[in-house]
Amino acid sequence: MTETLSDPSAAALVDPALVAFIYHEARLADEARYSEWEALWDDRATYWVPMAPDADPETAVSYINDNRARIRSRVAQLNTGVRHSQTPPSVLRRTVSNFEVTDADGDTVTVASNFVLVEYRFAITLWAGRYLHTIRRTEDGLRLAGKTVHLVNAGGPIPTMAFLI
Amino acid sequence: MTVTDQAGPPAETAAGLRPGDVRALVQPDRVRGLVYTDPQVYDLEMRRIFREGWVFVAHESEVPEPGDYVTKRIAGEPYIAARGKDGEVRVMANRCTHRGNRLCNADKGNSSSFRCPYHGWTFSNDGSLSGVPMRDGYAERFGEIRANLGLVQAPRQESYGGFVFASLEPEGITLAEHLGSARGAIDRLVALSPTGSVQLSAGWMKHRMYCNWKMVMENNVDGYHALFTHQSVYDAVRPAKVSHVPSKTETMVRDMGDGHSEIDYATEYRRLDEEFVWYGRLKREKVPDYIAALEETRGVEGAHDTLVIGPPHTLIFPNLFIAEMNVMTVEPLGPGETIAYTTPVLIPGQRELNSRTLRRTEGAMGPAGFLIADDGEIGARNQLGLAAREPEWVTLSRGLETDVTDATGRINKDKSAETPQRGWWKHWAAVLEGETARSGAQS
Repeated sequence: MTETLSDPSAAALVDPALVAFIYHEARLADEARYSEWEALWDDRATYWVPMAPDADPETAVSYINDNRARIRSRVAQLNTGVRHSQTPPSVLRRTVSNFEVTDADGDTVTVASNFVLVEYRFAITLWAGRYLHTIRRTEDGLRLAGKTVHLVNAGGPIPTMAFLI
Repeated sequence: MTVTDQAGPPAETAAGLRPGDVRALVQPDRVRGLVYTDPQVYDLEMRRIFREGWVFVAHESEVPEPGDYVTKRIAGEPYIAARGKDGEVRVMANRCTHRGNRLCNADKGNSSSFRCPYHGWTFSNDGSLSGVPMRDGYAERFGEIRANLGLVQAPRQESYGGFVFASLEPEGITLAEHLGSARGAIDRLVALSPTGSVQLSAGWMKHRMYCNWKMVMENNVDGYHALFTHQSVYDAVRPAKVSHVPSKTETMVRDMGDGHSEIDYATEYRRLDEEFVWYGRLKREKVPDYIAALEETRGVEGAHDTLVIGPPHTLIFPNLFIAEMNVMTVEPLGPGETIAYTTPVLIPGQRELNSRTLRRTEGAMGPAGFLIADDGEIGARNQLGLAAREPEWVTLSRGLETDVTDATGRINKDKSAETPQRGWWKHWAAVLEGETARSGAQS
C-alpha cells in the first residue's frame, strides 16, 4: 500500500461532497441496500480486498477482486434472498474517519480513510482497516471507480465476509 | 454407549475412548451426530488421523528456491517447511530446541537460517544447530548439544506430484499406500500443466469456519447440496456446469477406498467432447500460449483430451481437496472450528491463464466467494443444529441400494448419492480404531 500525501495540512480540505459520498456508500452497505449501493459504481470499476497491502493481483489471490461485471453479479446474488451467508443480512454499522486525499488526477480523486465495522450475526465480529475510495466526477454526479479495502487482519484467518465490506 | 457423558473407570486410550467405541458411531447408512461435536472424538482424531496418519502439509512450489520457507501447523503443532541449499524440502518442528520458543514467526520468507530471538540459538534451514551464543558456558558438553539439538524433523515425510505429506509417527503405512488410487487425481491435475507440475504460489485464503473440519471436507464431495446451498449462484449468475438431474448427465460419485472420494465429471465431459466445460466453457482462443504449450508436449489430440476431461474434483483423506483449479486444505481448531485454506492451481509460465484462474478462485472460493461463503454459513448452522442430541444419527443412505462396485471403487451414477460420505466414514472409523496403521491393512 503506497500512499503519498505531499501536504499533510491538505487532509483538512477533503471536499465535503466526497466525504458525504463515502458516508452514503458506507450506509447503503451497512443497510444491505444492495441495488442502491451498486448504482454508485462507475461503468469501469474495481472492488478489491487483498490479502496483503503490497499484493500483486496478477500473482496473488485476493479475498475479493471484482470488476464491474462481478460487482453486478455479487449484488444480483445478494438480491436473490437465498445467499445464505447473508440471509438474513448481517446487522452492520461502520464508522469511517481520518479522510485524506492521496491522489487526484483530472476528474478522479482517491480518498483514504480508516474504518471500524461491527458485524452482528451469530455473535459480534469486529472488522477494521483502511479504505481507498477512488471517486470519479461525472456529468451524472460522483461515481465510485474503485474501492480497496486493506483489512487489518488481511493475513487471516478471517470469518465469512459475504456482506459488502 | 454414551461418549459425551462417559463416567466410570479410567479410559484405556489417551482420548478416553475404548476400542470399539468409534466403530459403534458409524453404520453403513448413518453416523452419530456427536462425531462432529464430541471433544473426545476430536482428540482421538488429532492423534490417529493428524499425528499418526499422513496429512498434506505444503506444496513444493510454495518454497521454489533454496532458503524459501513456509510455516504450517500439523495437529495444532507449529512446523516449518523449508528448502535447504541442497534443494531438499524438510518439514521440521517450529520450536527452538533450547527452551521451546517458536522459532520462525512469519508465514513465509527466505532465509538460510533461523535465529531464535530468545537466546540467539541459530539453526540452519536444514535443521542443524549452527550457532549457540556464549558457547563456553556449556563447557565440554557443547559438541554433544550441537549434535543432538537440531530441529526435530517430521518423523516421516514424502511427496507426490509436488504435494508434501508428513506423518508425526515413525511407523506406519507408506504414502503410496495411504494415497491409493487418489494418486490418479493428482496425476490428472498435473497433466494440465505442459511442464508436468503445478504451482501453488498465489497464497492461501484463510477462512475461519465455525463448524467441524469433517463437515468442510465431506461437503466438498456432496453432489446433493449444490442446488440448495448454492441456489443463489444458479439464480443470479450462471446455471450449473452440468445438469443435476441424474438421467441427464453421466456425472458420477465415487468412493475410491482409503477414505478418498470424488465427484467425477470425466465421463460427462467426454460425452460432451467439449474443452474447458470445467473452466466456465472458456474458448481456447483466449489462452493461445497455454494451448500451444500443451499441444507441444501432449500433441494435438492429447491436449484436446486433457482439456476435455479437465482437473479432478477429489477429496484426499483427510485434509486435501483438489477442487478443479483450486486446492483446499483444512486445519481443525476444535470440534466446532476450522480454518479452510484455499489457493488457485497455477500453471508455470502461463500468465494469461493464471490471471483468469486467480479471478475464478476469488469468485468462487474463500470467505467472500460466491460458493464457499455459503458453505461456511451452512456449516456453522449444521454445528448449531447438531447441538440437539436427538435424533442421535445423521442419515447417509441416499443411493445405498444403487451403489455399484467396479475396478475404480464404489460408484453411483446419481451424483447426489451419499456414496463419498459413506466411504469417508467407513475409513474414518477404521483409522480411529487403529486398524489402518500397518501396511496391507484394508478399510
